[in-house]
Amino acid sequence: MTEPLLQLRDLRVWFPVGEGLFRAKRNLRAVDGIDLQVAPGEALGIVGESGCGKSTLARAILRLVRSSGGQILWLGRPIEGWSTARVRPLRRDMQIVFQDPLASLDPRMTVGEIVAEPLRVHARDLSRAERRERVVDMLARVGLPADVVNRYPHEFSGGQCQRIGIARAMVLRPKLLVCDEPVSALDVSIQAQIVNLLQDLKRDFGMTILFVSHNLAVVRRLCDRVLVLYLGKPMELASTDLLYSQPRHPYTQGLLAAVPVPDPDLQPQRLGGALGGELPSPLAPPSGCVFRTRCAHAVAACAAAAPQLQPVEGGHEVACDRWRDIGPYGATP
Amino acid sequence: MSQADAPVALDIDQLSVVFDTPDGSLAAVNDFSLAIRRGECVGVVGESGAGKSQSFLAVMGLLAANARVSGQARLGTESLIGRDVAELNRFRGVKLSMIFQDPMTSLTPHMTVGEQIAESIIHHLGSSAEAARARALALLEQVQVTDAPRRLDQYPHELSGGMRQRVMIAIALACDPEVLIADEPTTALDVTIQAQILALLATLKRERGMAMALITHDLGVVAGIADRVAVMYAGRVVELGTVHEVLKAPKHPYTAALLASMPRIDDAGTGPLPAIGGQPPNPRRLPSGCAFGPRCAYADDACRAERPSLIGPSSIEGTRSVACHHPLDGTRHAREST
Ligand SMILES: Nc1ncnc2c1ncn2[C@@H]1O[C@H](COP(=O)(O)OP(=O)(O)OP(=O)(O)O)[C@@H](O)[C@H]1O
Ligand SMILES: Nc1ncnc2c1ncn2[C@@H]1O[C@H](COP(=O)(O)OP(=O)(O)OP(=O)(O)O)[C@@H](O)[C@H]1O
Ligand code: SF4
Ligand code: SF4
Ligand SMILES: [Mg+2]
Ligand SMILES: [Mg+2]
Repeated sequence: MTEPLLQLRDLRVWFPVGEGLFRAKRNLRAVDGIDLQVAPGEALGIVGESGCGKSTLARAILRLVRSSGGQILWLGRPIEGWSTARVRPLRRDMQIVFQDPLASLDPRMTVGEIVAEPLRVHARDLSRAERRERVVDMLARVGLPADVVNRYPHEFSGGQCQRIGIARAMVLRPKLLVCDEPVSALDVSIQAQIVNLLQDLKRDFGMTILFVSHNLAVVRRLCDRVLVLYLGKPMELASTDLLYSQPRHPYTQGLLAAVPVPDPDLQPQRLGGALGGELPSPLAPPSGCVFRTRCAHAVAACAAAAPQLQPVEGGHEVACDRWRDIGPYGATP
Repeated sequence: MSQADAPVALDIDQLSVVFDTPDGSLAAVNDFSLAIRRGECVGVVGESGAGKSQSFLAVMGLLAANARVSGQARLGTESLIGRDVAELNRFRGVKLSMIFQDPMTSLTPHMTVGEQIAESIIHHLGSSAEAARARALALLEQVQVTDAPRRLDQYPHELSGGMRQRVMIAIALACDPEVLIADEPTTALDVTIQAQILALLATLKRERGMAMALITHDLGVVAGIADRVAVMYAGRVVELGTVHEVLKAPKHPYTAALLASMPRIDDAGTGPLPAIGGQPPNPRRLPSGCAFGPRCAYADDACRAERPSLIGPSSIEGTRSVACHHPLDGTRHAREST
């Protein structure tokens, strides 16, 4: 196997939060024990309900938030304790695309300046002309004509702003592109354009993608593997094929069942099978299996010990002690 | 059960909304007509800016001050357009209720959940405080709020997004409305909570025989609970029919393209999606002829010359209307278009 681009070992991000005026601080375990290897050129989806720790995990990998424990290995080297100055050269290889396309672009800069910015910081030896050429090339790559360089972000639609954000992230040809809900704010008809663009870029540049999304249908289209999170913990990790056709974890099964399909022969029945309950407070997670308060398969033993990720087959891992009894139950009949 | 012969609860006829702005006027809704029967749910779909919300804000009398409305909307025999606030308040929140995407903006932050539901009951039905509180509790239980007695005394910020939306639904149901308008009620929620809320709305519709308009951009949401669907584009209805007609065999190229471009959870395909090119149109600079023309694979000179009007069910089989010069034959699978 090729050396992983990125490895996480028991990664944790805990936020100390105060509850009320005089109460002691408690730890909110936003990310709590993630083990993961990401291969070069792989697209990994990170899914789960709001607040389950997707963005925090992505930000910890980019060192935009400090981890509280565990290791982050970049090309085999542990980087989690590195100072900001020492991390800076790595930023060249790790870029991010955000959810809100317009808000993530500086309104006072022209599109040309925005896309050139990473080059100015990380590729100082380029001449002005070379820089301009790289910018125009990248803009063309994301489907924008060269004449947009002198215009400002507010002149563009959401989908076009997202293209600009992707051009900015890709102009340094990063090894890792983190996308945090990159299509969630876009119109339905524009989402497909951006998904296709990311697919093309991945094929042509071979970068690794971490794709954070609550849209499980988009993840199925784009990603090679998927990590399912719940209250900061991994529930299931599998190739996209296996995760969607034979999900093993009751949480994954519930998530998939909740995604609507635009077919009036199927969808009314699907509504009835939705996962009940809500995410418990992350400050008081259930003992044992964190999912047990919403799990239809929970037994007394589930409250006693937290299940670890265990192998199913072919790299498929599930954090449920009862997976053999539950059986696969997927989105594809 | 068929709603086809149930009485019409809300009848919207040739409704148009124009906004006066410093840059000239903007036609947000044009000739919107829709009759919703008792016990029926009509989904209203379309992209951002298509005119979905403004159509129903016009019905509710909640448009911004710079709006001009023409056309008619009737609740039973009462007409709703052009009435003053005092008159409208006899219906709003009573026979006609609306819920929105973000419950936080519609709930009062410094009042408890119980007070807010009770206020509406006392105001509209003249109940005693005690009776109103009892009814508030019953309503919370009906919308499946867990731990309902405790929730009565909580403030909105203490509730999750899903719980707040349930509270909004409880308030909307407080006076047993005949018509419920739900504007993207689940868009801000997780898919899991969305499924719970949609299942709840489906139950309420069935049990109470309410007429419902469900505004959404998600065709999957429509497929789950709507009986009919109206597809809007650039301020107009471009296709209207039963969910089976429209979603199984779309006739308007936009509907077909939209269906094809949506990735589906039950589709194992990994190739590129058949995306719709271009951008949704700017309402200030609509193309001549058909507004979808610049993005349509079937556009020709006739489409550019003349805007197609919505042709009703009389000239097309079934109950469907479509606004297109070259409607698809309806047998073509949605995936094969564009
Ligand atoms: N800076 C912070 N301080 C305290 N708590 C935080 C902080 N950032 C995130 N959290 C908490 O950590 C948990 C995980 O948040 P995160 O934003 O990673 O979730 P997410 O999965 O990205 O959710 P969403 O889908 O809503 O974006 C949440 O409970 C959140 O409130
Ligand atoms: N007060 C206003 N003044 C001018 N234009 C307005 C005003 N309110 C709405 N509009 C315009 O009316 C058009 C239709 O808006 P509407 O809110 O109905 O869209 P929508 O279909 O509900 O979209 P979304 O999915 O984004 O909610 C848009 O172009 C919008 O910008
Ligand atoms: S360990 Fe128990 S509670 Fe957790 S997912 Fe498995 S069956 Fe459910
Ligand atoms: S009228 Fe013409 S351009 Fe408009 S949707 Fe029909 S075929 Fe396409
Ligand atoms: Mg997030
Ligand atoms: Mg709207």
